[in-house]
Amino acid sequence: MQAAPTFEPAEALWRVRLHLLGRGLAGSWAMFAESKIGLTGFGIIVFFALFGLLWPIYPWLMEHVAWTQEELEAARTVPYGAISSIYQVYDPVNGYDPLIPGVENPTAPSRRHPLGTNQFGRDILAQLMASTGSEFMLGVLAALITVIIGTLVGAIAAYYGGIVDTFFMRLADVFILFPLISFLIVLGSMIELTLLKLAFILGIFFGFGQITVILKSQALAVKVKPYIEAARVAGGGHFHIIFRHIIPNLLPLSFLYMMFNVTSAIFSEAALSFFGLLPGVKISWGIMIESAHTLGYILGGRSFQNWWLWMPPGVAITLLCSAFYLVGRGLDEVVNPRLRKR
Amino acid sequence: MKRIWQALTSGMGKFISIRVLQIILVLYLYMTLVFIILEAQPGDISDFYVGDPKITPEARDAIVQQLGLDKPILERYFDYLKNFMTGHLGCSFKFGNIRDTPDPICREQRPTWDLIKERLPRTVVLFLTYTIVSFYIGFFMGKLIAWRRGAIVEYFSTVVGVVLFTVFTPWFALLLVWLFAVNFGVVPIGGFINPDTWTNVQQIGATACGVGISCTNIVFNTMLLWLGGLTLFCGGAYLWSRRLTYPWQQQAVRWGALAIGFVVLGLFFGGGWPGVSTQAVIVRETKFWFFIWHFSMPAGVIPLFPLVFDFVQHMLLPILTLTLISFAGTMLLMRNTMLETMREDYVMAAKAKGLPDHVVRDKHAARNALLPVVTSLIFAIAFSVDGGVFTETIFSWQGMGQLLLQSALDHDYPVAIGSLVFTGVFALIAHLVADILYAYLDPRIRYD
Amino acid sequence: MLQQTEKTYPVLQVEHLTMHYTTRKGAVKAVENVSFSLDKGEALGLVGESGCGKTSVALTLLRLLPENAQFLGGHVYFFRDGHDEAHGKRSLGKPVKLLLDGQEHRGRLLELNRSQIVLDTRVNGRMQQMRFGRDDTARLGVDLTALSDDEMRPIRWKGISMIFQAAMNSLNPVYKVGDQIIEALRTHMPISVPDAHERVAELFQLVGLDRQLIDRYPHEYSGGMKQRAVIAMALACDPDVIIADEPTTALDVIVQDKILREMRQIQKKLNMSMMYISHDIAVIAEVADKVGVMYGGGLVEFGPSETIFKQPLHPYTKALMSAFPSISGEKVKLAALPGEPPDLIKPPLGCRFHPRCPYATEICEREVPQFREHKPGQHAACWNPLS
Repeated sequence: MQAAPTFEPAEALWRVRLHLLGRGLAGSWAMFAESKIGLTGFGIIVFFALFGLLWPIYPWLMEHVAWTQEELEAARTVPYGAISSIYQVYDPVNGYDPLIPGVENPTAPSRRHPLGTNQFGRDILAQLMASTGSEFMLGVLAALITVIIGTLVGAIAAYYGGIVDTFFMRLADVFILFPLISFLIVLGSMIELTLLKLAFILGIFFGFGQITVILKSQALAVKVKPYIEAARVAGGGHFHIIFRHIIPNLLPLSFLYMMFNVTSAIFSEAALSFFGLLPGVKISWGIMIESAHTLGYILGGRSFQNWWLWMPPGVAITLLCSAFYLVGRGLDEVVNPRLRKR
Repeated sequence: MKRIWQALTSGMGKFISIRVLQIILVLYLYMTLVFIILEAQPGDISDFYVGDPKITPEARDAIVQQLGLDKPILERYFDYLKNFMTGHLGCSFKFGNIRDTPDPICREQRPTWDLIKERLPRTVVLFLTYTIVSFYIGFFMGKLIAWRRGAIVEYFSTVVGVVLFTVFTPWFALLLVWLFAVNFGVVPIGGFINPDTWTNVQQIGATACGVGISCTNIVFNTMLLWLGGLTLFCGGAYLWSRRLTYPWQQQAVRWGALAIGFVVLGLFFGGGWPGVSTQAVIVRETKFWFFIWHFSMPAGVIPLFPLVFDFVQHMLLPILTLTLISFAGTMLLMRNTMLETMREDYVMAAKAKGLPDHVVRDKHAARNALLPVVTSLIFAIAFSVDGGVFTETIFSWQGMGQLLLQSALDHDYPVAIGSLVFTGVFALIAHLVADILYAYLDPRIRYD
Repeated sequence: MLQQTEKTYPVLQVEHLTMHYTTRKGAVKAVENVSFSLDKGEALGLVGESGCGKTSVALTLLRLLPENAQFLGGHVYFFRDGHDEAHGKRSLGKPVKLLLDGQEHRGRLLELNRSQIVLDTRVNGRMQQMRFGRDDTARLGVDLTALSDDEMRPIRWKGISMIFQAAMNSLNPVYKVGDQIIEALRTHMPISVPDAHERVAELFQLVGLDRQLIDRYPHEYSGGMKQRAVIAMALACDPDVIIADEPTTALDVIVQDKILREMRQIQKKLNMSMMYISHDIAVIAEVADKVGVMYGGGLVEFGPSETIFKQPLHPYTKALMSAFPSISGEKVKLAALPGEPPDLIKPPLGCRFHPRCPYATEICEREVPQFREHKPGQHAACWNPLS
């Protein structure tokens, strides 16, 4: 008896899909790479990512440092050294450089402290690097939540229409008009906001707002495409159509708005920590500016003598925000064909 | 009655009435949302005072009672809505009463509503001025950049635009303060008024002030009313002039309205309070417009110009900052949409009609490119109202935003929540106005 | 006057027009050596597949080209009565063509006074001043390609107006339709707003639109109404030439037919010169007196419509005609043309049509055929003309 000939796909379906995805991404990348501003933004993001990732090994690059209190103690008790040359310097929150007499702080950039120290003898570059990771985490997490909510709600509102649509659109009106930062300020005075909580709140508020409206209108355009009808005729359920057909078509646009949302999220975090409303956050770029400001190093009339105290964090926030914005603009040219150069 | 009904249910009237109803619904949703989120937080406000040695448990209970925290949640919700409608927003914990008689409800404390009433106009002035100025500059520059494309201009404008658009606002504000106030010293470092200017001001017109009634508020609000009235007058004249047949008629009406506006402005700022002779008024008007404001006044008449100038001086830097930050977004967007509309057939048709270049640019390309820019502004209103918090705080401009932040940091909850709600109301109203403006700009909207 | 209406004269002569678009992939040779002429009161049809450069010709005439367009040569002579002072003034110092007593003279216009026209012309390789009497029959044509933008502006709409492809988009959505026409009127002539309004009403009547529609916005119009409004707008300034670029493509067939017939009537009534541009040879057959057939950026055949439709010279014309069903209902096999339209970045050598041409010979692959008169009045660019 002969076995019935079975259809053997040359490649597993997932591999085909992966391959297609890869090809699509390569094509998008080629288009994206054409826009200079997008590439610039991407470069800045890569720089900050490396900057953040390098933080754990930064103290190794410098001489005479210890990482923790234990290491410091251990180093101090070396049997044959009269005075150990290792000091606790680079901890961003409470480290300081005992080699520098307190009155001399803040000190100007030197080989030991490439961006100088602040008024407590803490290394500015270390603080800057230590904050990078959390800024990224917060921005990306908030934007991810935003995009997930926005895409889902947009697709569902467009697909079902009627009362569902009306409800979400009115809700979007509220969220669009919500003075979020004011609200976070009031909220921050009532509860202890951590970065995670902040990311969730930002994500939810942005997610139900403008992005829903934009993605809904895009989903409406997708909804009337023939293949949606075909999928329905073929017996595809609501869930199948929304997730398999509508949402994949929204993803490019979602990704684009995600970039802009990262900018807003980072900005909000910096602003809140600047005003001291994020007690859970020990060090961040906003806090660095705030401490320079409250101690009078910005408006004290000698600002430029102490530029390293307030310039690096301000520039860092601006650069990182603009990097995501630039990537968004570059993606815009890929995602919105009408903007493409002819 | 029938007429009114008809006006409300057709064309623009219909659009506006629907929008107003929607805004009322959104307002209700907003208030409910604020209530729910604040309620959902663990513990209650009074927990903050547990460790405070100055506040005894009795005082804490009093606070709880005052805020109605001991009532069931539904009752609190309706109380909250009712209080908001009637303007009873509770009493401030920190701000003392400034009147010479105790407040009927708050006694020695200041009612929140009183504070908001005082602060809201200041924020509105700042917001309106910078919105209009920055929008106009952004619109104008974006238009020009798109129209005459050049590699250098494009590059420069994109870099400057993106940097200003994404710059960290408080940091940038501090830089500007350092530059203009500390370094050059051309403007005050911050604040709302210069107390020295106001030391001897105890009477504005017939109203005695200084004790119980703030002279600053009287002058400020009057200035606001006059300026607002004049703007409305000139704007109305502009709109009306568009119906006229000939350009010269239109120009005559526009310039005429502007001239009347300036004369009236001079009367107000230069002439002190009404009640001086015509001759004196003319003399002062002349002096005022020739920038001679240190003139002597008859006894008892307060020259208003120095007072108003004091506000203006303090406003300059915040407005400059806010304008710089927000014009860039408009500029970048305007440039993009303008580049798109320039490819439209009607722009080509306008060129083919032999219209002069600037007419094609302004009347056809820019006019249509404006629409998406206004839409994005509508989306960004809440954000720019929010942004006022930073600027007001950095410049210690005593407006709503500064009040909100200060009261939040001081745990002065009635004030914090009250100003939060009113910040939202302000954003809603701004949104409504912008929406109506948009409908005015785009005829297609009105008939949908 | 009588003489003029009887004897026709050219209003537009296009000579060796060449224009390329610069793109990243290379120069798109969109218009290559196109020559034709348009007489007063005549309707010329320009027909060809989409992308063959018809619209580019129109845009080059009006000098409305996008930034990446490169004008590479040729002349566009726009004629007016020799007595037209404004026209004479703007022609001063420009290359002109003078038509006088059946002869044409080219040169630079040096002087123009009450009785004389002075040209700086090249005679036997030497520059020489020539004087002509300025009489009633003189027609002075200025080379539009030599005018500056400011000098070109008065000619737009007043001299040559245009009905754009997709009329729906050539009305600005934020202004009332009437105001857009009034704007064109008041740019070109000193006319008060009420008078202009009255003129718009006349125009609307002419194109069959209700008077009330003047104060309506474009989005309140239907497609056919917009088309009529655009035609009314093109007629507004009494132009010498109207270029209608696919005037009815976006409309359904019945409306299309009706509007075409009305346009034809108006053209006859006002004795206007029109240039129709269409990919649809049926449309051209219905309205045009003369036909130009374009292929791959060049004009392949040009002549009176009767002869062209009866006895085409160029194989492409023939193929084009058989690609459409005959209006009279004869049963003809539709012969779709094999092959693709040429890539204008790298067009085929020699005759651009040769890869698709059933009659192509060896010379067609090597050399570009001259555009010349094969039969009286009928020009073609072909090595092996039919018949």
